[in-house]
Amino acid sequence: MVNLEHVTLRAGAATLVSDVSLDVAAGTWCTIIGPNGAGKTTLVAAVAGLRSLATGTVSIDGQRLDELGERQRARLVAYVPQHPEIPAGMTVQEYVSLGRVAFHGVMRAPGARDRAAVLDVLERLELRAFGDRDGSTLSGGERQRMVLARALVQATKVVVLDEPTTGLDVRHQMDILELLKKEVAECGLTVIATLHDLTLAGLFTDRLVLLHHGAVLRDGSAYDVVRSAELAQSYGATLRVVNVDGHDVVVPVRGDTRR
Amino acid sequence: MAVLIMVALVVAVMLGLVIGPVSIAATRILGDAFSHLGIGHSTLTSTQSSIVWQLRAPRMVLGLLAGSMLAVAGGTYQGVFRNPLADPYLLGVAAGAGLGATLAIVDVANAATVPTWTPLLAFVGAMLAVTLTWVIGGRSMRSTAATLVLAGVAVSALFTSAQTFLQQRSSVQSIANVYIWLLGSLANASWHSVLVVIPYVVVCALVCVLAGRALDVMSVGDDEARSLGLSVRSVRLVVVVASSLGTAAVVSVVGLIGFVGIIVPHIVRLLVGTSYRRILPLSVLFGAAFLVLADTVARTVMAPSELPLGVVTAVIGAPVFVVILSVRRMGHS
Repeated sequence: MVNLEHVTLRAGAATLVSDVSLDVAAGTWCTIIGPNGAGKTTLVAAVAGLRSLATGTVSIDGQRLDELGERQRARLVAYVPQHPEIPAGMTVQEYVSLGRVAFHGVMRAPGARDRAAVLDVLERLELRAFGDRDGSTLSGGERQRMVLARALVQATKVVVLDEPTTGLDVRHQMDILELLKKEVAECGLTVIATLHDLTLAGLFTDRLVLLHHGAVLRDGSAYDVVRSAELAQSYGATLRVVNVDGHDVVVPVRGDTRR
Repeated sequence: MAVLIMVALVVAVMLGLVIGPVSIAATRILGDAFSHLGIGHSTLTSTQSSIVWQLRAPRMVLGLLAGSMLAVAGGTYQGVFRNPLADPYLLGVAAGAGLGATLAIVDVANAATVPTWTPLLAFVGAMLAVTLTWVIGGRSMRSTAATLVLAGVAVSALFTSAQTFLQQRSSVQSIANVYIWLLGSLANASWHSVLVVIPYVVVCALVCVLAGRALDVMSVGDDEARSLGLSVRSVRLVVVVASSLGTAAVVSVVGLIGFVGIIVPHIVRLLVGTSYRRILPLSVLFGAAFLVLADTVARTVMAPSELPLGVVTAVIGAPVFVVILSVRRMGHS
């Protein structure tokens, strides 16, 4: 489904992502983890087709993203950045409708199918009651659901999310991740996300990819990666994995933070 | 709200034709207009008819065109650069036109009048400045709206310093003429200047208005707009070219009328919300009405001499803006 081959990204002389190859199967959730500055954000932006690659290719469904126009690409992959910009004065419904631009174009108004798709997603994400509210006045949790709605209304097979739980309390973090998990299970959505919280990453994700200095240090099931020696090594912290009711919880240990 | 703005436009057109040193009733002007269409008889003398149709009408029409273009260009720039302080002169149009006009004016040995090729040189200067801004700030793959704006600041500074240098070396009469030109005026309007400007304004304002939906998408930022399927670079190029070309055409004929491009879109935004699909077409109408009303004030309050139009746009625009802003704030609290 999503295929990265020898992807390298540079900014001036600095190499941000170095020779990353990945294959993410359809209908699965792959999370990129790693310490600050590991290159996670750059990598997922490249998966969304938003960065020019120094070397390598990113393909979705066999189509190379760099060979597609903006509208074609927007119908293959949707993108949620870490800090989405919510224009003041734009209603929730107008904001979510932006996700249909790839279908109707900027010279035409949304058609009946576009409007129906927007209402359907608002319903699914329990945002119908907020439709006419100014999106910039919503709470953090509601706002993140609105941004997710905009991505889902693009009706793509792949959604890329950069730290979708940033700034949310525990309950709202769980809400957003449950919503995504449901889309993966019921609609066969492919999710590629970055997450800081290793416990949440392990809880929701089929596969973890540990990135360090722009390269893949470890790639495997959540069970394997959270227990790997590379994890603690890359974060430069002592971590313990505790199993609670069958779920792994990753706990930092004090007193021995630097190796 | 659109109806209110249309009413303002009709009132502005009527005042533009009726008010002046020679008082001619609106009904008689209307009767004369109909008589040209073969309906009824005119009661105007030929002198009165000339005053209305050869002096006031072209001035009023040029005001409509200039006001609508400056307003829609300002609104478009605010959208494309996502910066509420953007005005049509942001990328160097004003500095370029100023240098071009100054070159034309100071070049004449006997500078009692402004030479006829001033608009042409002003237009060339404006387009040169914007092109230079684009070459410096807009071409590279990593360029953003901010780099383009900064390039505009640099180019404006360069052109303004050259203009100041030229001005400083010229005669007192030339300096006076340059200042008059820089402040902007509709006093030299003619049907010829209307015909020169009209194709630019119609095409460029239309392009800006049609870009409304694209600018709404761009309000979420470049990366996100691209992820939604918008070709951000192409949209930016098209609307910057349209706004700059239209503005250059207008300022080359009427000079640097300030404030319209920033105040009008903001007033419209306060009235109808933040969508550029509404802001831009209404800015065309309101900008037209606003400038003709301002010009009517400019040529009447100190008659027979005229106030600089840019001074009037600021004096009318700023308080109106403050009133609407405070009304809106009270509505929210």
